[in-house]
Amino acid sequence: MTMNGAAAAAGRPAQRLAARLPGVLLGCAGALAAIAVWSLASHALQGGGVLNRLPGPLAVLRELARYVEGDFARDLVSSLRVFAIGWVLGVVAATLIGLVLGRSALAGAVFLPVVEAIRPVSSIAWVPLSIVWFGFGLGSKVFLVGLAVFLVVIVYAVDGCSRVPTDLERTASMLGMRRLQRFRHLILPSTLIEVLIGSRVALMAGWGTVIVAELVAADSGLGAHLIGVEQSYDVPAVMAAMISFGLSGFVMNALFTRLERHIVPWRRDATEDAP
Amino acid sequence: MMALGHAVGRRVLLPLVGVVIVLAIWQATVAIYRLPLIVLPPPWTVATTLADLVGTRAFWRDVGVSLYEFVAGYAIGTTLGVATGLAMGESRRFRQALTPVIESLRFIVPFAWIPLTILWFGTSYAGKIMLVAYAVYFVMTVSTARAIAHVDPTLTRVGTMLGMRPLRLALRVHLPAAMPTIASAARAAAAIGWIAVVAAEYIGASAGLGLMITNAASSLATGVVIAGMIVIGLIGAGVSAAILAIARAQPSAR
Repeated sequence: MTMNGAAAAAGRPAQRLAARLPGVLLGCAGALAAIAVWSLASHALQGGGVLNRLPGPLAVLRELARYVEGDFARDLVSSLRVFAIGWVLGVVAATLIGLVLGRSALAGAVFLPVVEAIRPVSSIAWVPLSIVWFGFGLGSKVFLVGLAVFLVVIVYAVDGCSRVPTDLERTASMLGMRRLQRFRHLILPSTLIEVLIGSRVALMAGWGTVIVAELVAADSGLGAHLIGVEQSYDVPAVMAAMISFGLSGFVMNALFTRLERHIVPWRRDATEDAP
Repeated sequence: MMALGHAVGRRVLLPLVGVVIVLAIWQATVAIYRLPLIVLPPPWTVATTLADLVGTRAFWRDVGVSLYEFVAGYAIGTTLGVATGLAMGESRRFRQALTPVIESLRFIVPFAWIPLTILWFGTSYAGKIMLVAYAVYFVMTVSTARAIAHVDPTLTRVGTMLGMRPLRLALRVHLPAAMPTIASAARAAAAIGWIAVVAAEYIGASAGLGLMITNAASSLATGVVIAGMIVIGLIGAGVSAAILAIARAQPSAR
């Protein structure tokens, strides 16, 4: 597959298009088939009653358009603000602590097992505790997102700063680099690159956490909107809100992947196998 | 002998020191700031709360409900996911046709489905089972398809030369060859699925660990909340270990 891709990329644009056309057409056919199945299922399930269980694609699209025209921007900004603050705090904390744990053998041996023991407890499990601690406001959500991001990035940070080759460090010190210089020019770049990759991987974990935190706390943001329309049994609006979630996650991921390819082009492998 | 002692010291003693330091900081924070029990109970109180909890029947019912929802959803999601992934890995056409749909659904994280599953299934088990199956399905589909596509082509050639038909080739050659990758995806999927159950139980459930800790949080029984988090973490780790054990047992059996 990779080889095909490389061969196609080497060809002229027209050839490239011709080679990819069948695949694109098949993809469109698949998407159309999925939409057709959805429409048929919604017709079959149209039972009347209070709850319109499965609205058709058009109804959902209409609802999505209405939401985008209405409160979507406000909710998105509110969610993004929580997400951005938490994400930055999580990345910074993970980088600092990762540097300490990765560079000091003793600190690593003492505290890394503790970090490893906490890691499997997903940040989602912290939701009730965080609400007890920080209430329903911004604080608890920022804490949860920060925690989710931290737990992912810490692994990358420790890995990045402990995997500077020993030979390289010895050479640098032999050539007369001071401790601070070595840190600045060897260890820090190696760490930051891994942190960058980790913080992209953490995007989805953090975004998922924002959703759960807002579903539970439900005071503002996309998650609160989702709970609001759920409580009024408005299935088309619920599905539209889900789609808006998916789209925002997709856009963020695409932007960051592009940025990462620009900054660390040699780590293509890492960019590709993110979940 | 020296080296062995050193290794034991590094692997056991130092982590123990880490745990003790963390517990000491926890205890000291509670003592110095005189935190009330509803904010942060000391470690020992959490331990006794956990011990009391384990003795009650309601606790085991919650564990049972959560585990049942997880196992049922996980079994459905893994089976369907591996089947879809296998088909996508075997047939280029099928992969091209399905990729846009899979990719666009994959970006709607499972948690966003929680309100819809409540509208569809109420607070019953079925909603959580569907949610777990959904969460697991996409992880398994994508990783299986990728693993099958990366199977060593030599194996395919050998199989074809031996006169294997495509279906047999897929099931007897490609699937076993892709097994290590699929197994590690299965562990990642289990972690996601387990936490999806907990999250779904926060929002609408009649029983389960997620409901237990949200109820405890709203009655400010912080000790129970933390004890519940520990249980959730332990079960998650246990599930992961169980899947690893099953995956390791697989190749030796054949």
